[in-house]
Amino acid sequence: MRFILVDEIQAMIPGKSIRASKFVSPDEDYFRDHFPGFPVVPGVLLTEMMAQTAGKCLDAESFERGRSMLARIDSARFSAWVLPGSTAVISAEIQTSRPEFAKAKCRVEVHSRVVAMADLFFAFVPRDRFAAGLRDEVLEAYLARQTPPPSLPPAANPTLAAP
Amino acid sequence: MNQKEALAWIAQIFEESPDRIAISTPRSDVPAWDSLGVLSLMAGLDETFGIVANGAELNRMQSVGDIVTLLQQHGKLPT
Repeated sequence: MRFILVDEIQAMIPGKSIRASKFVSPDEDYFRDHFPGFPVVPGVLLTEMMAQTAGKCLDAESFERGRSMLARIDSARFSAWVLPGSTAVISAEIQTSRPEFAKAKCRVEVHSRVVAMADLFFAFVPRDRFAAGLRDEVLEAYLARQTPPPSLPPAANPTLAAP
Repeated sequence: MNQKEALAWIAQIFEESPDRIAISTPRSDVPAWDSLGVLSLMAGLDETFGIVANGAELNRMQSVGDIVTLLQQHGKLPT
């Protein structure tokens, strides 16, 4: 099982706020056990969705301080079942962001209904502790979409070409 | 804040029973005073008292008394 619990970042202000989404496929293996006849997304995975989402917002803010890692769950609350086939919209507001730690207030919504909330605490781990070349493809894909395309050189742009 | 309240606050930071935290309690007797505990202390000092402490300063602390002294140095607790 892969452990990437964010499909796409929809909007982000690095170090401030983020909104992302995750489609919960009915084919997820864990539904076989959680629970037979009544499949619902485990609360720990909703918490991890929130942690990964907030983590991307923090990682986009600063590369040098290291990679954000969930260090403590200050509070978590689950208010509705998340069923197979749902699309979870995950959002996080960064409350505190320091070189050593960060705190985020997060929530998950399905069909605009809040299904989970959590206050999460993050530490930062030096990037050299991870596998060389480790990338966050979801974050990179979002950032690539934000980068304006390079302007064409004058000779290749008909509107600017010399007569 | 008085000293008793400060000790209760420190106990809360390290998720300890208040009766296990005294001025003389060494760091080694507080299981949660590990690297994450230092970050929790740092965040707590900031949020509760507005004290921005650096990691090196907090890592040098060896007892609950050192935290109390820090609070005193910042005028958050009578000396």
